[in-house]
Amino acid sequence: MDPTLTLIGASMLVISILLSPLSSRLGMPVLLIFLGVGMLMGEDGPGGIRFDNFEVAFFVGNLALAVILLDGGMRTRAETFRVGLKPALVLASIGVLMTAVICGAVAYWLFDLNWMTALLMGALISSTDAAAVFSLLQGRGLHLNERVSATLEIESGSNDPMAIFLTLMLLALVETGSESSVWGAVLLLVQQFGIGALLGVLGGRALAWLVNRSHLLPALYPLLVVAAGMALFSAANGLGGSGFLAVYLAGVVMGNRQVRMMPMILQAHDGLAWFAQMSLFLILGLLVKPVDMLPIAGSALLLSLVLILFARPLAVFTTLWPFGFNRRELTFISWVGLRGAVPIVLALFPVMYGLPEAQLLFNIAFFVVLISLVVQGSSLAGFARWLKLEVPAPTEPYRRLPLDIAAAGDHELMLFPLRGERWGEPRPLNRLNLPERAAVAGIFRDRGCIAPSPELEVQEGDVLALFALSENLVELGHALSGRQPPQHLRERAFFGDFVLNGDALLGDVEQVYGIEFDELPPDLSLAECFARRTKGHPVVGDRVTLGPVSLVARATDADSVTKVGLKLEDSKPPSA
Amino acid sequence: MTETALTITSILAPELTLCGVPGTSKKRILELIAEQVTRQHPELEEPQIFNNLVSRERLGSTGIGQGIAIPHCRLEGCQGVIGALITLEEGVAFDAIDNQPVDLLFALIVPKEATSEHLELLSQLAEKFNDRSFCEKLRRCETSAALFDAMTQTA
Repeated sequence: MDPTLTLIGASMLVISILLSPLSSRLGMPVLLIFLGVGMLMGEDGPGGIRFDNFEVAFFVGNLALAVILLDGGMRTRAETFRVGLKPALVLASIGVLMTAVICGAVAYWLFDLNWMTALLMGALISSTDAAAVFSLLQGRGLHLNERVSATLEIESGSNDPMAIFLTLMLLALVETGSESSVWGAVLLLVQQFGIGALLGVLGGRALAWLVNRSHLLPALYPLLVVAAGMALFSAANGLGGSGFLAVYLAGVVMGNRQVRMMPMILQAHDGLAWFAQMSLFLILGLLVKPVDMLPIAGSALLLSLVLILFARPLAVFTTLWPFGFNRRELTFISWVGLRGAVPIVLALFPVMYGLPEAQLLFNIAFFVVLISLVVQGSSLAGFARWLKLEVPAPTEPYRRLPLDIAAAGDHELMLFPLRGERWGEPRPLNRLNLPERAAVAGIFRDRGCIAPSPELEVQEGDVLALFALSENLVELGHALSGRQPPQHLRERAFFGDFVLNGDALLGDVEQVYGIEFDELPPDLSLAECFARRTKGHPVVGDRVTLGPVSLVARATDADSVTKVGLKLEDSKPPSA
Repeated sequence: MTETALTITSILAPELTLCGVPGTSKKRILELIAEQVTRQHPELEEPQIFNNLVSRERLGSTGIGQGIAIPHCRLEGCQGVIGALITLEEGVAFDAIDNQPVDLLFALIVPKEATSEHLELLSQLAEKFNDRSFCEKLRRCETSAALFDAMTQTA
């Protein structure tokens, strides 16, 4: 074993990790930093490391993507399917195809490529990056309305298989040079998606079963999941299915079942996904020769701009119009067509196939990703605020620890630090209004632990430890909320002063307030009113402006609004 | 508005400021409000006030959280805006948005015609009661007179 190799590799990781806090300070995606470190260490940078082993990069790239998708899948809540599944799937299929075709056409015009190869270029850059999008949103503490976040989340998890499929199909076409195999292409599509989906769902169930049946050291559960996930990924690929789809779906299935030690598994997978991201971007950064990108920079920049400003928005607006999105939401989804690792990893396929233009395709894909990360990545958070897509979110516990003992059922130990003005004055425990099934375990104050009693007063600086179920999280978050959010996201500013029930009738509201809502019949309930405006899938934060008041969806249960905020004064609605 | 702008001070009378009322239930409190208002304004009908307040509560609780409620309604035959400020000895369940018992109430009854003033006043009230230290000050008052002063001085 050559110690210099591991020394270099490990040092690059260390540097990337230490530099990662820069990302929030510079307002740039952290991925860009990893990529930058890789490029600086590469042969054109001060590091001067010659690395052109595409096979190793390909191997690392695939494995890393699988780990990232598995993690993303486990964090996808099945409840989000209610609003996000259909639009996301349309976007991930037709949307990706449209993007690929438009970009392919532009690439044909910009570069010296034949039609097929140009379309291949389009396919390479046609899918968005789940990991990039979510690390960005979560890193900024942005909570988008559920319609937007669910769509983006499911889209970015599920569009990679489409892009991979297009890439493989076009590669096959370019290689054979024939266009006769339309049937072959359809067959390939069915095979990739069919086998991938089947193995994913079955594999996810099997894995959940396996984890629940095993008695292991706690630390081994996450490793079991990742190892089994990789086995599934390889098996699906081996059988001619989409391994990426399989591993993502397995994650979704697992993440939405009762699986023992799930919080622990998720925590470890968070780390694994980060590790995968870093390895992936570092190695891709090493692989590229920035000097080679210079000659194509102008044209590639143009291609990126077409992708960002034309292809993606067109795909979004034409495919999503039937789903009740408003214009602000569509605009944002258009802007979050962030490209990440996937296009670069996909660009390794032509290299592996030995396509003569492979190096050019790789450089273009790399450049497009760079531009997308810089332009979209750094403006995303601001854009979301500007489009008013944020919704108030309940406080999350500082830590959640699974108990993993049968008698405790699904209770977890949760820690909530009491912070902010709200806790300035001491309040007795019995007035905290905790959910019924939550029990306070103890109060930590100045490193000491105090046993709870109903009259015990708690205040700012204390840490509340309690046993509760994950379904209590929202309620707990409200009861123990800490720091004040920015002005526009305070509950009162956002939802208005008064609350109406979803089943209240418009006519009765008109009667009580003496206002008239001409556009809508009085026998409509408020819930129906939201259902109409959102094509049946309302989410918290949706708004209906009626005369001098605004109604804001405050709570939903499945597809019906249960609580409606009534905003009275200067309820200036964001232009829809 | 043509007349001088309505302010919270101008709609609250000392007689309708009640401190430390023993509360038992939401219904009882609303009854009490109707009763007190008709005592001051005999031309109004008590059941009418109560019914209108209850109809509003049926659409959704006026408990705005943090132990505060702002019951309100429009009323036929009512000539001017009527406010009533009440603190309770002990909180009562009010179906408030945060499920906290309510111990501080400001009831607002407006003439049937007053629609924009109604909305305006409601949001002014909510704004005022959003101030935590102000509410604590009101809760600490021990006599109705002190309560009236605390409410009107800062207005």
